[in-house]
Amino acid sequence: MVRVITGSLVECDPSIRALILQIDSTEHDIVIQELDDTHLLIDKSKVEYVKTMLNKLLAANTYNPLDDEENNDH
Amino acid sequence: MCCGCCSFPAILSLYAVCTNTSDKPATCLSIFRLLPSLAKFYVTSMIFNEKRVLVQDFDSWINSNGKMEKAEAIRALKALHLIKENNSIAVLNPVFRTSFRLVLTGSESENSFGVVCEASDTHKVDVDFLDKYAANKWETILHFMVGTELEEIPNQAVLTLLRHSGLMIGKTPNAMKITNEGFQFLLQDVNAQLWALLLQYLRMAETLQMDPVDVLNFIFMLGSLELGKDYSLSTLNETQVNMVSDLRDYGLIYQRKSTSRRFYPTRLATTLTSDASTLRTASAAMNKAIERAKDRSASNVSFENAGTIIIETNFKLYAYTNSPLQIAILNLFVHLKQRFANLVTGQITRESIRNALLNGITAEQIITYLETHAHPQMIKSAEEQLGKRLETGEQTNTSLEILQPTIKDQIKLWQLELDRIVAFEGSLFTDFSSLEEYEMLRKYSEEIGCLLWSDNNKKKMFVTEEGKLQVISYAKRHFTKRP
Repeated sequence: MVRVITGSLVECDPSIRALILQIDSTEHDIVIQELDDTHLLIDKSKVEYVKTMLNKLLAANTYNPLDDEENNDH
Repeated sequence: MCCGCCSFPAILSLYAVCTNTSDKPATCLSIFRLLPSLAKFYVTSMIFNEKRVLVQDFDSWINSNGKMEKAEAIRALKALHLIKENNSIAVLNPVFRTSFRLVLTGSESENSFGVVCEASDTHKVDVDFLDKYAANKWETILHFMVGTELEEIPNQAVLTLLRHSGLMIGKTPNAMKITNEGFQFLLQDVNAQLWALLLQYLRMAETLQMDPVDVLNFIFMLGSLELGKDYSLSTLNETQVNMVSDLRDYGLIYQRKSTSRRFYPTRLATTLTSDASTLRTASAAMNKAIERAKDRSASNVSFENAGTIIIETNFKLYAYTNSPLQIAILNLFVHLKQRFANLVTGQITRESIRNALLNGITAEQIITYLETHAHPQMIKSAEEQLGKRLETGEQTNTSLEILQPTIKDQIKLWQLELDRIVAFEGSLFTDFSSLEEYEMLRKYSEEIGCLLWSDNNKKKMFVTEEGKLQVISYAKRHFTKRP
């Protein structure tokens, strides 16, 4: 029998997909199904959360000159 | 930079919609000034030509490289109903022709270029004063938009216009907030901004029972007036007299008192219909006027050019400005750190650009803003580098790069990063009992255009929220029929 699962289809490149899975590995209940290399089915209410988490992770990989200066001040 | 060129077609097409005769000589002249240069050439060749002009003649007047321009020119002329084709004979609109002849020969009876007051004004004002007045009025509006603390807020009519054009939202003046469109508006050229507001004014005029033709004629007339002269209200009709008080609020017109029977056009008004090349110098002149007014009150540094921004490859930014407006605009996408009498310094960071992007400003707009406001030194070193590249015979990159490629690319990359994931709400259909069932539903949802993703091997498909119920009822109808 056909099953219908409501959720959000997230389209992204594989690197971002890996990051989302990483977020899910610590918090679970985000990813409902892994569809393929570029698609994930995730909980509808968690989309915004995933976006902010992704932003945090990506920001951590960016050099921020302001951080440096603040450290120097101390 | 796209200054006025984007809004001119808009105003012209509006003109074409509301009237197809141009009986006022001032309007004819303004239309003519806004035409592409090849179209101008065609009009001038036809205006005193009594012989028939064949459509093929247009081709013979240009060389083979000009095909694109010719098509554009003819399109513009036809859209404005200036030229009609009759059995391959091109006819210049007779009304336009008569009026435009009047413009050139100057034998018109009613003066549509405004009537200069005969009696001299006892409170005469000079060009300097008008420049300062216009700059002040216009800046007040822009300042209000960026939320600077102001002693005097713009007039109620201006606020209504800002609200109607979608540049700001909020009911009371204190609660008004700038919108995404508003941010984009701020990054434009003064002239483009003016046209944007005037177009909106024109749209509102129709709902206020003002005749759009009168409004347009008056706007075009303003463009042909002379700066520093005072004009009489006596030849204007009622609509236009009402407009004077509105345009006063935007700084296009100076009137000492609202009961005064004379008005002065400011530089903002007289440069309205100048064509693209003079437009830039006009707006530069405007900027200069603003700078001069500022310099007198603050420091003694004077700028030869409107450009003030230096940006280094490490994303540090220095802007030689003391204009609160420019600082406020920079603050939209730069993390500002220090402020001196004539200089602000800041840093472009991922965060600062992201904030701007989230406010609806595009990477392209930021780059254009930085390029057009670049310090002369930046342009000079860019030209030197280009010279070196050309000397070494590099062919791949022969454009002038005012901003370092790293800066440009990074800003664009940050924009891409913002939309790296796309999410769609909907439902996943899974666990089909047979391939036929899957195929049937997949085809159906594809037909009604709600299929977002499907995998034939895994027999899974994802449909949009809107299409979900339709697909489910389709499935119920077809699957239950079978034993």
